[in-house]
Amino acid sequence: MLKDLITPENANVFVGKLGDILEKAIDKPLGYAINWGRIWSLWPVHIETACCSVEFGAASSPRYDVERFGIIEAFGSLRQCDLVVVQGTITRKMAPRLRLVYDQMPEPKYVIAMGACAITGGLYFDSYNVLPGIDGVIPVDVYVPGCPPRPETLIQGCILLQEKIKRMKARKFV
Amino acid sequence: MTTEIMPGLALQKVDERIMTLNVGPQHPGSGHMRIVVQIDGDYIVACDPDPGYVHRGEEKMAEYRNYITNIPHLERPVIHDSCNVLYPYVLGAEELLGIEVPERAKYIRVIASELNRCIYIMYWLAIYGIFLGHSTMFMWPAGDREFLIDLMEKMSGARVTHAHFVPGGVRNDLPPNFEDVCLRQVNYFEKRIKEYAAVFYDNPILISRTQDTGVLSKQDAIRLGTTGSVLRASGVDYDLRVKEPYDVYDELDIHTNVMKEGDAYARSRIPWLDMMESCNIIRQALQKMPKSGSVRTKLKPNPKTKVPATVYKRVESGRGSLGCYIVSDGKTEPYRLKLSVPSFRNLIALPYLLKGEKLGNMPSVYWSLNYWPVEADR
Ligand code: SF4
Repeated sequence: MLKDLITPENANVFVGKLGDILEKAIDKPLGYAINWGRIWSLWPVHIETACCSVEFGAASSPRYDVERFGIIEAFGSLRQCDLVVVQGTITRKMAPRLRLVYDQMPEPKYVIAMGACAITGGLYFDSYNVLPGIDGVIPVDVYVPGCPPRPETLIQGCILLQEKIKRMKARKFV
Repeated sequence: MTTEIMPGLALQKVDERIMTLNVGPQHPGSGHMRIVVQIDGDYIVACDPDPGYVHRGEEKMAEYRNYITNIPHLERPVIHDSCNVLYPYVLGAEELLGIEVPERAKYIRVIASELNRCIYIMYWLAIYGIFLGHSTMFMWPAGDREFLIDLMEKMSGARVTHAHFVPGGVRNDLPPNFEDVCLRQVNYFEKRIKEYAAVFYDNPILISRTQDTGVLSKQDAIRLGTTGSVLRASGVDYDLRVKEPYDVYDELDIHTNVMKEGDAYARSRIPWLDMMESCNIIRQALQKMPKSGSVRTKLKPNPKTKVPATVYKRVESGRGSLGCYIVSDGKTEPYRLKLSVPSFRNLIALPYLLKGEKLGNMPSVYWSLNYWPVEADR
């Protein structure tokens, strides 16, 4: 019976339906567990956009050691990353690249806007080559203010993001 | 044959033998820039650096801010070397506005600028370590530089962006007891960086990866216009602190480190030797500094320059000679401001150095040029 229904042509429809059912099933009982797994393995992309990257580097130094909160040092491969920390100014030349990097990452993905420049353009609000914030380029989860933010502020932003993920519906991203 | 898929992004038809590879801007070995390399097998045939991802129009912005409000954004190109990158602007503005600087302020500036040089080089060294896959060499300098950052934080109140130098002196006097703490920290720091020899500079793996790679001869170094540690690693004795002393550098005894090899190893070793020299300079300056006195000549609000004039000032920053050219037409803002940055001048050498190298040697040659992309783009 079932065998007749599933043909090579419509197999993916059935797989999709199965996915829907699974999603619903894991939403409540497993959602918490999935989110718990996600918050302790945030892998940032290695994309540096401006001078805030100095403090981002300092955050993984021995004194601040952001790794103890489950955020690993910036990493090369986009396919294994789920966090973009936009480290400062986005210029007109960098904006398409940032979008491209964001689009290439698999779901779930989160964005931290680090520094005044990434939030509103900061010191360079009236420069001809700088975007007034990255909200028009990619959706932002957490804003970390400062110019540059101290590593402690960045770590606090990461913890806020983890709090946010904890409350998110896991199903949204499955 | 190129097809544009997005503004500024294009698909290119691939050659049979030569492959074009984009390194960056999203790449652990590139920083905020892109290097387009053409490789034949494992060897680089041609290389085309593509900076400009952080071009923020600093020079244009300086034209509609007055001489004091120009300070914060002019130190952003190199925030971990912010005192040095601001230094030529402040010297130039002082000359245009005709202000005298108190003696104590000059010494404080020298101390701050040498501390900043160490902070910059430590960050550079940390990234050089991680580029070469040497994690210890990321952790050690990144941890040790925090002690110097603490000192600068005591002095100016901010971790990296100090805005401490102003036309007419420095913003604040030193906090009480700063001299003792500074001396202690600097002595400890010097002891620490000497230990790097065992883990990094005498390490056979580092030596095999950097020795005889990317050799820049003395003639080429001069012809291409490189400056700073790159020039000194190629055997040219050139340091603006000695050759063209500004502020009180002529009263201090400075030794210039020169190496003849001109390869990536020499270029990575010179900044490390420079840090030890900086420690010496700080100790001398702490000794010679007047123990009290004013540190800032107060300016009128919105100061105007007296006559239409131009000024060009250069200082030796952590990367090389950094110049600032200011044209003034007698208003409260500069008419034109131009930064001549060492990073951009050192980058010019990259295509020459990489030709014929293996692709795997690219990070070690690229970062040995003492290059900071944000500064090059301004
Ligand atoms: S917020 Fe400040 S430190 Fe960060 S990128 Fe912008 S100017 Fe640089």
